[in-house]
Amino acid sequence: MSTFQARKSFVRAGLSTVAILVLAACGGGSNSTGGGLGSGDLLVGVIAPFTGADAGLGPAYYSACLAAAPSINANGGVGGRKVKCQQFDTRGEPADAFPAANAMIASHSSNLMAVVGCTSDEAATVAPVIDRAHIPMFCMTGQSEFNKTSLKYFHRLVPADIFDAYAMVGSALYGPDHTPYKRAALVFGNDIGSQAFVQPATNAFTKLGGTIAINQPITLGASSYRTEVAAMLATHPDVIFTEALGSAGTYLGEVKTLNGGKMIPFIGTSATIDPTWFQQVKSAIGVNDLVANYRGVDLGYSFSGPAYTEFLTNLNAASSQFADAPKYKQRGSTLHLYDGIIMTALAMVATNSSDPKVYNSKIKEIANGVSGATVVNTYKDGVAALKAGKSIRFVGAGGENNFDQYNNSVSGYILVKYDAQGNEVRVAQLTPDQTKAISDAGGI
Amino acid sequence: MSLFQAAFGFGLVSMSVIALGAVGFTMQFGITNMINLAYGEVMISSAYVAYYINRAGVSIWIGMIAGAIFGAVFSFLLNRIVYSPFQRKGTSLLGMVIVSLAVSLMIANLLLPLVTYNSVSYQETSGSLIRMAGVILTTNQILIILLAVVVMLAIHGLLRYTRLGKAMRATAANPILARNCGIATQRVVDVVWLITGALCGLAGVVAALNSDSFAVANGAGFLITALAAAVLGGAGQPYGAMIGAVIIGLVTELSAAAWSPEYKEVVAFGILVLVMVLRPQGLLAKRGALAAAG
Repeated sequence: MSTFQARKSFVRAGLSTVAILVLAACGGGSNSTGGGLGSGDLLVGVIAPFTGADAGLGPAYYSACLAAAPSINANGGVGGRKVKCQQFDTRGEPADAFPAANAMIASHSSNLMAVVGCTSDEAATVAPVIDRAHIPMFCMTGQSEFNKTSLKYFHRLVPADIFDAYAMVGSALYGPDHTPYKRAALVFGNDIGSQAFVQPATNAFTKLGGTIAINQPITLGASSYRTEVAAMLATHPDVIFTEALGSAGTYLGEVKTLNGGKMIPFIGTSATIDPTWFQQVKSAIGVNDLVANYRGVDLGYSFSGPAYTEFLTNLNAASSQFADAPKYKQRGSTLHLYDGIIMTALAMVATNSSDPKVYNSKIKEIANGVSGATVVNTYKDGVAALKAGKSIRFVGAGGENNFDQYNNSVSGYILVKYDAQGNEVRVAQLTPDQTKAISDAGGI
Repeated sequence: MSLFQAAFGFGLVSMSVIALGAVGFTMQFGITNMINLAYGEVMISSAYVAYYINRAGVSIWIGMIAGAIFGAVFSFLLNRIVYSPFQRKGTSLLGMVIVSLAVSLMIANLLLPLVTYNSVSYQETSGSLIRMAGVILTTNQILIILLAVVVMLAIHGLLRYTRLGKAMRATAANPILARNCGIATQRVVDVVWLITGALCGLAGVVAALNSDSFAVANGAGFLITALAAAVLGGAGQPYGAMIGAVIIGLVTELSAAAWSPEYKEVVAFGILVLVMVLRPQGLLAKRGALAAAG
């Protein structure tokens, strides 16, 4: 190829790229006419890992959408528009997530009402892309960089990871069924998201009298961790703080083997309240050791009430589309994302607009409520109240939401364990004094 | 107990698992001229075949044989149905790599709805712990090491002392000349796919057994380690792959003991890069695939 031809090809490729970017940018902003709810199906994009090491995460979020859609569709839709769900696989890799987000926005610019998912694997990559397209998103990431985010369309219905870390420390020090643990091993993945737990847990635990026996960042997805486990056991911890999504079974199985068949108590983050995690660890160490030695932390769900009942009914019905959906009946993120989708639909009805620039801010108002707002628990009741001219506060399957100025919703933690069937069992709740002591010690 | 002694023992297990996978991979390339990126997915598919047999109450050691047979048949069919037609059309080596990558993705995505994304484990106790000179291994791990030694010796015997082995080496060195000398090269290639497929299946089951729990996503990891050992030893060189497996297996475990475990793969692959810079053909490669070590 001559220099001239090469240059010409390069220019042509450059112009094509610019044209694609311009079209994508235009597409992102042309969601509606600015008034009225429009026509045609609406779409909720579930952008998450469905393949790869974190393939267990996407189905939990997809299930949330499958449960939320019938709640809306069976009650008139959003101004008559039906809600549908579509998966966008990020493979848990930013490099795959970026084109997935762009493809989602470019191909559904006219009917994308909300995006859910965006885990710590890909949130930093996709959230700015989704925000530029002015699509409200509900991200399941605990990364601290979103604690004071400037992204207007970002919403987080779960606390930041530091609060999970504090709750784990609370479980170790104040858990009701054991003497306070004194020596903790920190075993988290060496990725940025997992490492977010380490510093706050270290600060809080050591300032409250504990010792970090070892801080062990591990490579998630490795085929074995024997040397790491031997190094950890040599420090004689009396408890392990962990998450290690995708690798917990391998690691903990080797702990049991190398420790002569005896498990060390382990405390998991709220992400370990997950049927996939339960199954993996159960198959590696056996259900009896899992039930006896595992403690976890979670947000205080009641798993009852009209919102949860409707959620559960729809989730069970969704098994015809996705057989695993009912497994997520107690998965916190599934409950929260269900609520996020319902709140978005209510915000659209409240503003009578399918323009996200109009209804985005209404989501927060419906979640937090304003003075005198009518509390509603279902989409049907919400629409009825809005039509009656009332302002509403939606308290959904995951309970109350309290968004701060950065659209982060924070709520209290409970200490939990599993029963033999993998159901969450509440063990205790941290008192306000205990919570304050840990937060002060954490100091982040 | 010294952590380094323990890590050395764990390294022996790791290198055994890697060697089983790497030798099959490198023989496939050396003799059939095919860089089969679907190798990891065949490994994990075989691991699942053994899992379902094991779940039915059959010992995993029997399941391992079934996994090896499955790997052999699956690999043979892959070559006959997918790879061979492309090769006959004269598809370039790079083109074949892309084809195998596509096959890899197809297998992974077909496997996912069948076995789901959940991690599973074999119903097999890891055996009693045996401690010797600071090395701690379970009986299963010792059996894995012995199995790898036996298989490596068998491969050595096959390549050096049998007519089939000589035919394989001749086909690897120059397939046209080998054919002109009366060697049925197509039959040799078929047998190679069966043998390396069996190694692949065996390696998949052993890797899954070694790992306590496994899932579909592990296929990619299996491939990377086998590929690294094969490249380190010299592409197409079975003995090189064995040495590559020893280096990667031991270095990953010993570096995890010496430094933070988060760097163990960095160290192992750093050595791979260093060798590639100093000796791009790999540690043992001399001239052509399966040539004498040098």
